[in-house]
Amino acid sequence: MLSALYRIMARIRAAFRSRALDAELAAELESHLSLLVEEELRRGAPPEEAERRARIKLGGAAQLREAHHEVRGLPFLDSLCQDLRYAGRGLRRNPAFSAFAILILGLGIGANTAMFSVMNVMLLRALPVKNPQELVEFIRWDPRGTMMGNLPDAVFRHLRQDTTALSGIFAIMPDSRVFRAGGSTERATVHEVSGGFFSILGVNALFGRTIAASDDLPGADHQVTVLSYPFWSRRFGRDPSAVGSTVQVNGRACIIIGVMPDGFFGVDRGELPDLWVPLGSDTAYWAFGRLKPGVSIPQAQAQLAPLFHRAIESLRDEMHSFAAPDREAFLAEKLLLLRVTTGAPGLRWRYWENSNTLKVLLGMTGLVLLIACVNLTNLLMARSAARTQEIGIRMAVGGGRRRILRQLLTENLLLALLGGAAGLLVAVGGHRLLVTFLTGNLYRVSLDFRLDGRVLGFSLALSLLTGLVSGLFPALRSVRKRFLPVMQGTSQGRGAMRLPFARKLLAAQVALSMVLLLGAGLFVRSLRNLSAADLGLERQNLVMMSVDPSLSKTIRDRKVFWTQLTDRLATLAGVRSVGLAGDAVFGNGGWNSTIWTRQPDGSEQHAQIAFNVVGPGFFETVGIPLLNGREFGEQDQGKSAPVTVVNRAFALRFFPGQNPVGRTFRTSETRLEIVGIIGDAKYGDVREEPRPMFYLPLFQHLEERPYQLHVRTTSESAAAIAAIRHEIEAVDQDISIGRVRTVNQVVHDLLQHDRMFAILAGAFGLLALLLTSIGIYGVVAYNVARRAAEIGLRMALGAQRSDVIWMVMRETLLVLAAGVALGLPAAVAAAHLLRSLLFGLGPSDPASIVWAVATLAVASAFAGFLPARRAALLSPSDALRQE
Amino acid sequence: MGENKSEILQGTLDLMVLRTLDIMGPMHGYGIARRIEQVSEDSLLVNQGTIYLCLVRLLQKRWIKAEWGTSENNRKARFYSISKAGREQLAAETENWLRVSGTIGRLLEWKEAR
Repeated sequence: MLSALYRIMARIRAAFRSRALDAELAAELESHLSLLVEEELRRGAPPEEAERRARIKLGGAAQLREAHHEVRGLPFLDSLCQDLRYAGRGLRRNPAFSAFAILILGLGIGANTAMFSVMNVMLLRALPVKNPQELVEFIRWDPRGTMMGNLPDAVFRHLRQDTTALSGIFAIMPDSRVFRAGGSTERATVHEVSGGFFSILGVNALFGRTIAASDDLPGADHQVTVLSYPFWSRRFGRDPSAVGSTVQVNGRACIIIGVMPDGFFGVDRGELPDLWVPLGSDTAYWAFGRLKPGVSIPQAQAQLAPLFHRAIESLRDEMHSFAAPDREAFLAEKLLLLRVTTGAPGLRWRYWENSNTLKVLLGMTGLVLLIACVNLTNLLMARSAARTQEIGIRMAVGGGRRRILRQLLTENLLLALLGGAAGLLVAVGGHRLLVTFLTGNLYRVSLDFRLDGRVLGFSLALSLLTGLVSGLFPALRSVRKRFLPVMQGTSQGRGAMRLPFARKLLAAQVALSMVLLLGAGLFVRSLRNLSAADLGLERQNLVMMSVDPSLSKTIRDRKVFWTQLTDRLATLAGVRSVGLAGDAVFGNGGWNSTIWTRQPDGSEQHAQIAFNVVGPGFFETVGIPLLNGREFGEQDQGKSAPVTVVNRAFALRFFPGQNPVGRTFRTSETRLEIVGIIGDAKYGDVREEPRPMFYLPLFQHLEERPYQLHVRTTSESAAAIAAIRHEIEAVDQDISIGRVRTVNQVVHDLLQHDRMFAILAGAFGLLALLLTSIGIYGVVAYNVARRAAEIGLRMALGAQRSDVIWMVMRETLLVLAAGVALGLPAAVAAAHLLRSLLFGLGPSDPASIVWAVATLAVASAFAGFLPARRAALLSPSDALRQE
Repeated sequence: MGENKSEILQGTLDLMVLRTLDIMGPMHGYGIARRIEQVSEDSLLVNQGTIYLCLVRLLQKRWIKAEWGTSENNRKARFYSISKAGREQLAAETENWLRVSGTIGRLLEWKEAR
């Protein structure tokens, strides 16, 4: 046993000092030979004869050296190197073929590697903090199966007392603040964090210090903040002296105590805040904990359960305003711990669990790779046909079939590896583009795109697989009994590619392209439907912005402020009307509230319904039609009678077949009288179905918070928008104005995903079309060249040019017909998986199908026509002379 | 080539080389080849060069050692000698060989007798 191990080690060593060992062997053989010569001379042979006999006795030096290599070294490695050298020569000899193959493989592998890289950073890579595998997120879930990712303050404080399962617990509360430094004001994204946040994550500040537990205690000075690296770069030009300076946050002086290192984002890659501040609010938080080493999730859940139950019970009295079933559900809630090794599951839910986005993209890139593979297979088939003679000769002179097969596969693998390397280049550029597409303006994502081992490994594995898949079949065919026809020297044997098989591959390419093209057509048409969808309001020339009056204003001041502001704006040139709302059109889609309506039998029915608070003239401003009754006016304010306006869907659901004006329903606070009905407008998303909503008069419910200003203008020009901004600032210097956007811009952003799908599917479809056309062109052109003599003969016998063209085109059309017949059902089946992403059309949308088939037909007909025309232009005598 | 040769022949050659070195002491390739030719009457070596395939195998298994020295005709040559592990291997193989050949012999004799 030991000797076998020694032998392997020695073989490995030998493989690396082949040259020295060859020299040693040569020296040994030389002295051996001289001894043999002397022996022969002693026997009386003449010198020349003695030398000859000695050489015969010793054996052929070359063969011996070969055999010695095999016995002493790693013959596999030896022949691999040999194969690689040979393969490299082969690829260099045929640069056009090699470049093309590397290009298509690079695109196919690159698209997939980019996809994988995006998934890797979004879903797979661990958080850049200390021992991320110990981090858990706290989730509440009730018996109805609802999961909630926040903990009420009281629950958080209860769980904080635990010392058995957790080594720490911290809370995050995303919010936004008005940030003012060096004379300029902006709205900054803020994460309020509990004192343990940084220390439990185990991260230190780049400069200064992080927020400590003492910053979080009641009575502590809350006015400190830590900056994120990007925000520090942008606002302070990476000036380290920013630490220690005083800035204004929501109008209060605040000291910058530290800057976090680049790449630190907290626990959710989808949420990179500008600032971290100590926890100030006391409602409910996003909560995380670190498990003690060795504590499992079930253990921790069991240990925390009683504590959680006590915490929930302590809130029983505060639940009186809830509807009975909601209260019961709340009191029966249980605590669930989710591991967040790879980060809070926000991105995972947004892009994987709750959406098909990444899956559809994966499917598309997978198809592209498949098409590239089929294309390469076809190329290799043609090439192996052209190399029949070379391979035939190698086999005839005793090249083993397995050896030749291995050599051909090595060549393909080398090609695939080069393609993979090209793919990495594509991926490096591609994944940034993909993430921009994926997240757009909607989310601020912190992703680290360095290629890591996992991505490189993926790309390598994919390359090898691609090389094997596309190369195995052509290689196997090459070494089949081929040497006979070669030796016979017929033209059949000299380069016949089996055409039926090539045609089948082409048909498969057409079918695969069909799937991508139908997808592209559906996405493009769906995007068009979405862009032109009826929103239920007037989308042109509607400008929106969030306006936050300075904090010092009392409620009474605010009422005056808002009235003054809307009045002033309404008189501005270019402004038609102005309306205020709590939630913007296509903002959050309103808030939810429980309402009770009286049934005809006198009982009460309750439901969760979305609502919004809006000022006078809001519906007229945004262009939602008033169907009945009245809109809110100046009279609906303060302590006037509580009134509400409902939409059509609300009326249909709760007062079917009746006029709801004058009817009432109640919320947990008050009974409301319906004074008007408006049309159904989409409020959260372009795709949403009309849903019941009710509206409350803003001035009856005025709070100390920012409101959304909606301005109907005569144009969307930048000048008009700037004028509005200027006018608001003229009312009060300390106002902070959020982003000014038009409804068109907001809707444009909402359709980001759909646009991405349309563009990417279109690009992939185009790529597939290109690859398929090249495939068709290659095979048909090859066939025309092979049949040149036959075509010449036909023409000599009187065939017309059109006959020849038809004869060649027939081949293309057959492939096309077979591909479409195969691809259409597959494409429609695949499109069914996209149903949830489509808007206003089904998966078998006739226009999209016609478009896909027509595009394919035109492209392949063109690809087939080029060689057909060349065939028709052949001169019969030249063609005949070729044979 | 060397690897494809029948295992019995390879084993026999290994055994003979070990035995030769055990009896004769350090020898170079020429000497070993001659000795084996004499003993086996040319039936084991295709040609004398083949001995080096056997020697490299034994070296790699650490059953023999090699040292550079000078041959009878004053040339640089490599002298091989058996190692401790080689002696143990030789003893084990000899015993094994005797047992097997005894069994086979008896089997063949019994067949003749019938």
